Amino acid sequence: MADDDRDDNRRPDPDALLALAEKDRRGKLTVFLGAAPGVGKTYAMLTRAGRLKAEGADIVVGLAETHGRSETAALLDGLEALPRTRVAHRGRVLEEFDLDGALARHPRIVVVDELAHSNPEGSRHPKRHQDIEELIAAGIDVWTALNIQHLESLADLVAQITGVTVRERVPDVVLKKADEVVLVDLPPTELIERLKEGKVYLPESASRAVDRFFRLGNLTALRELALRRTADRVDDQMVDYLKQNAIEGPWATGERLLVCVGPDDLSEKVVRVASRLASGLNAPWLVVSIERADREVETTVRLQRMEGLFRLAEQLGAETRRVVGNDFVEEILKLARREHATQIVIGARRHHGWTRFYSPSLPDALSRRAAGLGVYFVTPDKKEKLPVPTRLSPPGVASFRQSALIAVAFTGAMAAVGKMIDMVAELPNISLLFLLAVLGAAVMGGYVSAFIAAVLSALAYNFFFIDPLHTFTITAPHEVFALVVFLTVAIIAGGFASRIKEQAEVARVRATALQSLYDFSRKLSTTAKADDAIWVAVSHLQASLKRNIVLLLPDKSDLKVAAVWPPDTELDVTDFTAARWTRDKQEQAGFGTGTLPNSRFEFRPLMGPHGLVGVCGIQQTDVRLDINAERALSAILDQTAIALDRARLSEASLEQAARLEGERYREALLSSISHDLRTPLATIMGAVTSLRQLGDKMTPESRVDLLQSIEEEGSRMSRFVGNLLDMTRIEAGTLKPKSDWVDVSDVVQSAVERARKYFPGRLIETGIAPDLPLVEGDSVLLGQVLFNLLDNAVKYGGDEPVNVYARRDGADVLISVTDLGKGIPPAEIDRIFEKFYRRGKPDGRSPGTGLGLSIARGFVEAMGGKIHAESPALKKKGTRIVIRFPAGDKTKACKTP
Amino acid sequence: MTNERILVVDDEPQIQRFLRPALKAAGYDVVEAATGGEALKAVATAAPDLVILDLGLPDMDGKEVIASLRGWTTIPIIILSARERESEKIAALDLGADDYIEKPFGIGELTARIRNALRHRERSEAAPATLSTDGLVIDTVRRLVSRDDEAVRLTPKEYDLLTLLARHAGRVVTHKTLLTSVWGPAHGEDLHYLRVFIGQLRQKIERDPTHPAIVRTEPGVGYRLVVDQE
Repeated sequence: MADDDRDDNRRPDPDALLALAEKDRRGKLTVFLGAAPGVGKTYAMLTRAGRLKAEGADIVVGLAETHGRSETAALLDGLEALPRTRVAHRGRVLEEFDLDGALARHPRIVVVDELAHSNPEGSRHPKRHQDIEELIAAGIDVWTALNIQHLESLADLVAQITGVTVRERVPDVVLKKADEVVLVDLPPTELIERLKEGKVYLPESASRAVDRFFRLGNLTALRELALRRTADRVDDQMVDYLKQNAIEGPWATGERLLVCVGPDDLSEKVVRVASRLASGLNAPWLVVSIERADREVETTVRLQRMEGLFRLAEQLGAETRRVVGNDFVEEILKLARREHATQIVIGARRHHGWTRFYSPSLPDALSRRAAGLGVYFVTPDKKEKLPVPTRLSPPGVASFRQSALIAVAFTGAMAAVGKMIDMVAELPNISLLFLLAVLGAAVMGGYVSAFIAAVLSALAYNFFFIDPLHTFTITAPHEVFALVVFLTVAIIAGGFASRIKEQAEVARVRATALQSLYDFSRKLSTTAKADDAIWVAVSHLQASLKRNIVLLLPDKSDLKVAAVWPPDTELDVTDFTAARWTRDKQEQAGFGTGTLPNSRFEFRPLMGPHGLVGVCGIQQTDVRLDINAERALSAILDQTAIALDRARLSEASLEQAARLEGERYREALLSSISHDLRTPLATIMGAVTSLRQLGDKMTPESRVDLLQSIEEEGSRMSRFVGNLLDMTRIEAGTLKPKSDWVDVSDVVQSAVERARKYFPGRLIETGIAPDLPLVEGDSVLLGQVLFNLLDNAVKYGGDEPVNVYARRDGADVLISVTDLGKGIPPAEIDRIFEKFYRRGKPDGRSPGTGLGLSIARGFVEAMGGKIHAESPALKKKGTRIVIRFPAGDKTKACKTP
Repeated sequence: MTNERILVVDDEPQIQRFLRPALKAAGYDVVEAATGGEALKAVATAAPDLVILDLGLPDMDGKEVIASLRGWTTIPIIILSARERESEKIAALDLGADDYIEKPFGIGELTARIRNALRHRERSEAAPATLSTDGLVIDTVRRLVSRDDEAVRLTPKEYDLLTLLARHAGRVVTHKTLLTSVWGPAHGEDLHYLRVFIGQLRQKIERDPTHPAIVRTEPGVGYRLVVDQE
């Protein structure tokens, strides 16, 4: 066992090989990494390009910033340079890298300088690294240059070191995914030297920062960062190599970080610190936010903060996760165990703020309960303000004016009412009216409103009702007292009111979500087929999430699109690859995940009780789904999975049942045919052998009876064989009825005669209209049809008479044969024309062959007529078979012989 | 002497129609029944000597009729059945039916089976000490088997097989009966034993083992030891 395990581990990791194969189809990215501007990245890049060009490589320069330096510009000679595209931006014309031109030219290698560059608004991609990604995806190798300070995870560190906030940033993933990193190094002293000689180009606007930036300390720190980053990469490559070649470790530290964040401003620092920690430890890291289960409504601000935070974490190479729970510590530890995390990174602050997530007890509780786990606390910097790129506006500002209006209105109204009452009767406790105003304002406008109303009320009470009237004097103790009471009421009532409002909102949102889910499951419950369930799910998801939805089902070894909504939604190759990943790994992939994030869709597996039943793709936008939509989504997906699983099972069982039924039917059929043939045969053979061997010992009557039975059975067999042959002709399509003019009354009469001879003692009554028109058809076939119907009617009609009618019905001639037997249950009425269907047991015990009616139908339809059955026919019993033929044209009939 | 009485159970009137005069002419009295219920009643009241039973009856399965008859009587039962219903035949024989005949059949075949069954009924009261057929003599008292007056040496299993077939001479013995009585109840499904031992037996007792005349194969059902028709 142990040996097997070791063997297994030594085999090359398939994931590593897969990633390698994926890379083979893409272009390669080479990053020339430097510690600061002026170290000579562009120079190094162009020198190398020139060398390759001389060797005959297909290399072009998409964009190179020479900054007017002649030694660099000289390198461009002999290199093919792509023309730049001109973009109008805020009244200026900018020369930019021409992405489409590069794609059209499609060289093997393209040089695109300045990886951290931001494209002007309106470009296809906002950032140059995205342009480069597209080039690589198109299979073009790209060389580019980057200064270490532009790396996202180092942004705050760089700001701390240099005091300069870098705005153009590159996600760490880009550098991490680069196939080659070339470190362009220059000792800081030399760099400063070059700067002094004017060899480093810096824009005018930046000149103020230059002095601050190009200091020996700064440059040394940046150089260290660049060197360390490169060393990390070399380490990664080593690990990759070891994995690909199945060389045994120890290559991984085995560390795994769980990073807890919330919508507070400390969390951004937590993410950055964790990112550096993770890259230092070479460990994967998972960023998780825990949402309170009882908090249904997230404010937009909090949601935006969380989205921003998650985006940052993903850019830095983290996996992200949202968890719902009440006991934060418990949830964190649960997740840590499940994800095999070895360290927890969490923000800790000692004073209040966003206490919901980082109450002072949380770090303590965590360190108390996190047995065996390392807990890393990130504390806020109090002196330095962190450079936060996007400041979010605080909530409630917009509604201040509204709150004030509400307060003024309530106070004004109450003051007026008070004045009116004052005119009628003088009340000592008129101040109570203003409590109403405060309360009203609190209910309508919340805290702010209540506060304003309290102050206004105190003033108004003072002004209008306390002597001296129409002056503000807060001297008497009862006036101060009134103000205090008003304010207290305002605080309490405002708190209540806003909580009630929040609860009402919670209830509303919950009710809407529940209603929506209820609608969905009701719709689903009415669908038994997988196909219907899929469409219900897709349209419902689209309606509730307002995103394009696609649902894929496993199809043999691949996936096929089962439903999309809206119908014009299309999947490209990347989307499909992401969907397949989801199917294979049964985990999320595509947009917003760690796998194939450039797919426009986020794919989620549909897991039924018996494994994966499908994959659902949700086309995502920059705005992530909020927690409520997220919950609705997973509920709907769960329901859909169960419905699909159920449908699949029921389809499988139906198929199985149909197959069994078919087998039983065939068996019954065979035994019925063999019985129908064997019984007359057995009679004939038995009678013949009896006559031959024992005939002389029999009475003459017995001999005659035996001979007669031979004759009867012979004709019975011949009829059965005839029926079988007719049926075969109908089925083979070789039945060619003659097209004569047939006198229906004639045919009916002769069929009835024949039946009377066959079934002596049975009453057959006829009613034939005198002026029946001729019909076009085959009189022999029609006679056979009628005889079959009569045969049937006699067999199933009990002892009651059988009635045959023929009459004209509009443009048709109508013939009916009616018996008064038990009739046919409504469920079976459509089956009686089926081959080998007989009323009674299907084991051959009923009198008929099960062919009569199906032959009748075959003949009638071959002659262009129609046949159907009605039951009950008369007095709640019996069966009537009705045949219709179009009446022939008399004049035409005369012309045709 | 009084004629032996035969109960014919068949729901097809045509079959009854020719069996009645034919069996009468062969010297039997005939009682008829069209359903299983009637058949059970008739056996109890009319005291027939033999039952001819069609397995397909409208009211109950022929096998049920056999099972309830065998609960209290050893009356010989001959089954009428179709060829393709093999498993049904075997089940009926295992339930205690004495023999079977396939439809369609000649009357001579049927009367031969009837005679065999009736003779067995007489014999079972006093088991015969010897049986001879086609020059083969089986002496169960001295445990000797001879072929044209020459002793045949049989192994104990072969002897057991032969005597078991001889006790049911003229009638079919199912594979299962042979296997369980000779080899024991655990070997009811070991058909290959039978194939081997019957082959060996035929080598020793048949004139032409490739065209066996004494131990006949009943395909899918069992074996039958053929006796001389007198």
